[in-house]
Formats: sequence, C-alpha cells, structure tokens
Amino acid sequence: MTRLADISRCFQGVIPSIVVTSDGRGVPNVTYVSQVHMIDEKHVALSCQFFNKTRRNLDENPRAWVEVYEPLTFQTWRLRIRFLRSEKSGPLFDAMSMRIEAIASHTGMKGIFKLIAADVFEVESLEKNEGFLSEAAVDTSEQTSLDGVRSEVRGLQYVSEQINRADCLEKLLEAVLESLDQFFGFEHTMILLVDESTKRLVTMASRGYGESGVGAEVAPGDGMIGTVARERRMLRISGLSHELRYGRTVAREHGTPSAEVPLPGLPDAQSALVMPLTIGDRLVGVIAAEDRDPLRFGEWDEAYLHVIANQIALGVDRITASDDDDEAPVISIAAPAPKSDTRRTFTFYANDDCVFIDDEYLIRNVPGRILWKLLGEFQRDGRTEFSNRELRLDESLGLPAIKDNLESRLILLRKRLDEKCPDVRIVPTARGKFALQIGAAIQMVEK
Amino acid sequence: MRRTPTCEGMSIIVGTVSPDGLPAGCRAIAVVSSDEMKTVTVYVPMATSREVVANVAATKRLAIVGSYPPDHSTMQLKGMTTAVRLAGDDEHELVRTRLERFADVLHAIGVPRRVIRSINYWPAFAIDMKVEEVFEQTPGPKAGTPLR
Repeated sequence: MTRLADISRCFQGVIPSIVVTSDGRGVPNVTYVSQVHMIDEKHVALSCQFFNKTRRNLDENPRAWVEVYEPLTFQTWRLRIRFLRSEKSGPLFDAMSMRIEAIASHTGMKGIFKLIAADVFEVESLEKNEGFLSEAAVDTSEQTSLDGVRSEVRGLQYVSEQINRADCLEKLLEAVLESLDQFFGFEHTMILLVDESTKRLVTMASRGYGESGVGAEVAPGDGMIGTVARERRMLRISGLSHELRYGRTVAREHGTPSAEVPLPGLPDAQSALVMPLTIGDRLVGVIAAEDRDPLRFGEWDEAYLHVIANQIALGVDRITASDDDDEAPVISIAAPAPKSDTRRTFTFYANDDCVFIDDEYLIRNVPGRILWKLLGEFQRDGRTEFSNRELRLDESLGLPAIKDNLESRLILLRKRLDEKCPDVRIVPTARGKFALQIGAAIQMVEK
Repeated sequence: MRRTPTCEGMSIIVGTVSPDGLPAGCRAIAVVSSDEMKTVTVYVPMATSREVVANVAATKRLAIVGSYPPDHSTMQLKGMTTAVRLAGDDEHELVRTRLERFADVLHAIGVPRRVIRSINYWPAFAIDMKVEEVFEQTPGPKAGTPLR
C-alpha cells in the first residue's frame, strides 16, 4: 500500500494540485492549489489564501477530492480527504505562512498575498491514478547511495574543520562556500551577515554568480532572505518559477504595480534553500543556496545545511567577538607608485553617507566613513599603515560600542574596492593591522 | 483577449459529485463550443474518468475549469450535462491536437513535451453540458466573481 511519504515529491509544490469540493446542494467546484502540505501519514493541509468557494463548500460538505502530481513523471495520485479544522496560528500555520509571505514579498505583494488559515484534512484514502499515463512512469524513487552519504559526512567533517581553523572571517566564509560546492554540489550560494548598526543583512561572500553581489543589502522581511531573517526559520522552496508566476498573477489581478525586489543571484532559479544563522535567538546572518533544478533541495539537504549553518553562526561569532587589537608583528607593504595616467576621484555624499568612485556607487555607512578616513590620512600625511584599534577609538566612524563587526565591514570595503577600484587596496598585514595600497592619483571631493 | 476553457493550450479539469456527496474529478483534454459557450463538449480520457462519468450519469452536475499555465488566467464553467457518449473517430484528431497544444504551452515553461504526450487521452468520453454559470477564477480578489 502506498504511503504519503512514498510520494513526498508530490507535496513540494512544483505542479499545482487540483481540489474538487461540492456545496450542500451537490454543485461541484474545481480549483487549483499551489501546494498540498503533508502533515503526517494521515493528514494534509491546504492553504486558504482567499475566502473562496472551496472554503464555503467545506463548511457545507467536508468531503473533498484532491489530485497531486509527481513532478518528475507527471504520474498523478488521488486523495479522498475530510475537512477537520482551520488553524490560524501555531507551528503549521507559521510554516505555511512563511513560504507564502516570502513569495509575496518577492513579488511586491507583502500584506496582500497572505495566508488566512491552514485548513487541516484527514486523509481517507490514497490511490494511484492508474491508466493516466500511457507509458510506465520511470521509477525515480529517491535513492541515496552509501557513497553519497559517506561523501556528505566527509563534507560535514571538512566544513567543520575549516570553520574551526579559520583565523579570519573572510577565510571562514570562503571555505564554507567552497566546501558546500565541493562536497554537496551547492554551486550557487551566498552568505549575508547582520549589520548591527542598520539591522540590515549585507552580502559578505558568494560563489557561483557572475557578479559577487558583495555589499548587496536586504532588509528584514524583504524577499525570501529577509523573510528567513525576520522569522528565524528555514525556507525550502521547489518549483520557484511556478510560485513566482502565481504571485505575479495575484499582483496583476490586484492592479498593484509590482515592486519586485530582485532576488540576488540566479535570475532563473527554480529552487531555493535559505537558512538563518542563529545563536540561540540572536540572528547572525543568513545562508542561501539556489539551483536551476526545481527539485534540487530535499529534506536531507535541509538537515545537513542546518548543521553547517549552526557551525557557521558559532564560527562567525567566535571570530567577530575575539580581540584583534593585540600587538603583533607588522609586515610592511610599500605603497606602489601611482601609474602616471591613472586618476581616481572619490566623492563623499554626506547626506546619503555614501562614497562614489568616479561616477559609480562604491560603499556607504560605516565602511564608507572608514574609507574616507583612510584616504584622508593618506592624502594629508602619506600614511599607509593602520590598525583596527585606532578605528575603534575614532568616534567619528560611528562604530557601535559592542559587536562592532569591524572585521566584516573591512572585508566588505576590501571586496568592493577589489571590484570597483583595484587601484586602491586594503591589505591585511597582521592580526588587527592592515595597509592601504594606492596605485593611482587620488582626488577627494566632499559634497 | 480573455482566455476561456475552449481555447487551445489550456489545462482543463472537470469536477463532479456523487449522489451521496463524494466529490471526484479528472483531467480533461479538450473543451469545444459552437454557440459561444451556451453549450460545451468536454473530452475526458476513458482510462481515468470512470468515477466522473458515473457521477454525471447520476447527478448531471459538472464543473469545468480551464487555466492557462503561464499566467494562471482561469475560468470555471458550471452546468448540467445533457449527454455522455464515446467520442467518435472523427473527433480523435481534435483531441490529439489539443493535447499537443497543451504540451507546447507546458514545454515553454520547462515541462518536456514527452511528459504530456504520455497522457492516455484516447479512447475518450465526450460529455455535453448546458452552461448555467461562468466564473472568474484567476487567483486574486476577483476569483469567484460571476462572469455570466
């Protein structure tokens, strides 16, 4: 006998399911639902997003019929279900609501496209829709080979070791993303960390994208990443293009102009796994993985990414909390002579607290102010060597007294300079020390 | 132009209910009309429509939903069936062509054509229905609004 767990892919929302109900007079009604949620072997839930005919029918006749699709073979399965109750709060509601809110936010429908209730049903029967397909459906039952599991266990061990060994934030983040690619096949990933002063998430490292996206910011509650950050809960979405089409349809029907937040990363992503990095209840950041395969991320991926996410959070916390002000030997790096024909103009806009390089946005807030201080001292005194300690003591930079995230701000600044102005570099010289390397004639303008 | 269930490339589902209140449905392959949807004929594969046909024989009630997968524009027709018959050979080409157009539409959004082509669409039943109500069913606040 087939169990619900045997057809778990049907519940990932890749292909919309069909629900038939009837009113008290025996008039049938057919509707599509974007996802049937499997609760356990005996129960499923449907999302109630609009007070619609299906919902009214269930009050008159609790029996319903559902057809779900296996996304790889298109084989269908039929469930007879009986309506039990509507849940408007609790863990089931929260889990279903978060998925909808993430899509809503991503399509500019925050607050409009939302879950009203999770409707819970008892499953009375489940049967394969025999004869639906003319060819035998390919057996695609999930088979995790022992070799695969061994490789992933080795991967966990490796990532864990890299995190423990990392002596700076940059190495830690890069090692994690590299390991996820190498051992787990996560080719498109990014890590964002919380900026304590703005409470926004800032992209600190990425892998598998043309543009690194380092410095890209996400507000809590915005899009999938922002929703995960606000809720402190993992989000796994399959069949992303279908979900986005559905969200855009609702947006269009509402007549609301779509203020879609561009999803950092793959424009044609079909699945996403987004995990909060937390220590207790405190959010450190978010790790996100995307793929063009709509079924790339399963429960197993969720489980081991969760383990890795916990380790990253602890590792980030350890490094950012450690005292990097202790004296250490300094490696002197001479500033290269400016190339005669290279001139770069840095402009600081005080109103927006941001720095432009020539006519292009470079960086804002604390890292922008740090850059302005470094360039100013270089222009005034020819200084090229600096320490984290002096930055912490400089009140004009506006670093928070505790959890100043100085190292992550310096990484951000260094990477933005690498991408937008390689003539000016920030090079670590020792623990808590760094040098400014300038290979162009610098002009500073303040507006 | 407003898409209706009679258009090509639509995903079509029919819904019925048994005399004792048990709903049942199945995928249909084509809907046609020669009188601006006052009446329609919907084609359902014989292999998967046993319960649907038994229900309409007993209750006459039928609901037909047509949805266009790329943008989810959806319309529902409800009415009373007037006849159920085995589709004739002269209707085979129509049903086959509609399945092929559906495969084209899904192919454009990433579903391989072979998947849709593997649906057992023939032999089919042709169900004639007198349309009594037409509803907007595109996801959103207007879903459920009567159009006729």
